[in-house]
Amino acid sequence: MINTTTERLHNLANTIKNFLNFVGEVSALFFETIKCSFTGPFYFSRLMEQINHIGYGSTSITVVIGLTMGLVMTLNFGYGLAKFGGTLYVPAVVSLSLAREMAPLFTSLLVAGRVGSGIAAEIGAMNVTQQVDAIRALGTSPVRVLVVPRFWSLVISLPLLSALSFAVGILGGMIVCKMEFDIVPGFYLYKVFSTVKFHDYMSGIVKSAIFAGIITIFACYKGLNTKDGTKGVGLTTTWVVVTASILILVTDFFISKIFLVIW
Amino acid sequence: MNEVLLELKNIHKAFGKNKIHQGVSLTLHKGESLGLLGGSGTGKSALLRSIIGLERIDQGEIIFKGERIDHLPENKLTPYRIRISYSFQSGALFDSINVFENIAYPLFEHTIFSYAQIKDRVAEMLKLIDLSGKEELMPSDLSGGMQKRVGMARAMILNPEIILYDEPTAGLDPANTLNVVELMQRLKEKGLASIFVTHDIPSAIMLCDRIVVLHEGKIIFNDTPQKFQNSEDPVVRTFIMSSKD
Repeated sequence: MINTTTERLHNLANTIKNFLNFVGEVSALFFETIKCSFTGPFYFSRLMEQINHIGYGSTSITVVIGLTMGLVMTLNFGYGLAKFGGTLYVPAVVSLSLAREMAPLFTSLLVAGRVGSGIAAEIGAMNVTQQVDAIRALGTSPVRVLVVPRFWSLVISLPLLSALSFAVGILGGMIVCKMEFDIVPGFYLYKVFSTVKFHDYMSGIVKSAIFAGIITIFACYKGLNTKDGTKGVGLTTTWVVVTASILILVTDFFISKIFLVIW
Repeated sequence: MNEVLLELKNIHKAFGKNKIHQGVSLTLHKGESLGLLGGSGTGKSALLRSIIGLERIDQGEIIFKGERIDHLPENKLTPYRIRISYSFQSGALFDSINVFENIAYPLFEHTIFSYAQIKDRVAEMLKLIDLSGKEELMPSDLSGGMQKRVGMARAMILNPEIILYDEPTAGLDPANTLNVVELMQRLKEKGLASIFVTHDIPSAIMLCDRIVVLHEGKIIFNDTPQKFQNSEDPVVRTFIMSSKD
């Protein structure tokens, strides 16, 4: 009995220790990334390459998800509000939801799957084939070479992708409003622009930038710590998608709460 | 005796409960080639990795030209990693860039050479490793032996004072082994000091001025290749005999 309790306490202590160690290492990687961004050489060409790969490469899928969100939300809100005679409120509700929550959240979740897994797999494969060691052995920093360009490329790209998602979503909403509820595009756009304020746009933009940081830091951290060959790369990829998605959802709640208080 | 370039003093290193180095001490002189032999898992590669800080030692001192380097943080190791280069067992080439970019990587990072100067220097290196004209190939287009030679060229491009070879002939056919050994011979003739981790005893005897045998975390032999071949030590004898099988 005493032995079992001691063992459980020991396991609990180990779990807490490992968790704190993990938090410490992720935080250290984040601060190292920020430090490397403002000191020493900055790989501008690699940043542009990553923006092209991560940002531009995600536009088509962003358009699809933005349009789908706009169409589906408008349809559902439209028929839901129609029961109470509130069809005219549809443009306002849809645009506000898209700007503050849906566009940044869904775009980030999508990018976490597409880009987060890609970053983790690429760096993880480099790690297990000693390419990361080679970067270090050649007197350069893996954080500077691999993490910094990816971090800033996603911090720049994701807010732009969210904005694109929002714009396409508004377009989708406009199509459904016209076809299903006879709301003319002029009135629809007037309601959208009079409802969504600057701070609503900013809320989505800032959230996206924070989510971008979460995706890249966790993907790079896991990639740089990948072990056990190709099996390890597979596990890393899965871990990053799941962890980044959960963190995005949890963080979204707290950021939304903060923004609602300050704006 | 030539100037001492590198000195390892009483190195201890463990991975969990597995103590792989238990008081390893070594010296490497200018222009000297040292062969580091031992069975699999005896910590030969780990010792090389410790020298340039890819692994941290638990105890002991690593001294390069009179300066202790084992306790330096990652960012302070850069000047030493330029002077002590590492040739990886697999070559560890960056697979997303071509041969030219791989070899030129240290020049782009650590020098202010113009692109034309870098191109000339890479061409010179490719000639040295008998791969002239292969600049545009990707690492995946190269054979294992070619990848190792490109990795060695990349390690050599900044004119280091010491090169650490991690099993450069492992997994190669006899022709490729000969190519790699000849390349190492050419680099040795240029006065480059080296530590050569290998299981390939004939190549070590041919290339090295001194042979060191690592066994159960300790150095059990440290002398000339001739004395190595004539050693009466039972572990050394077993090692020599097993390599002949």
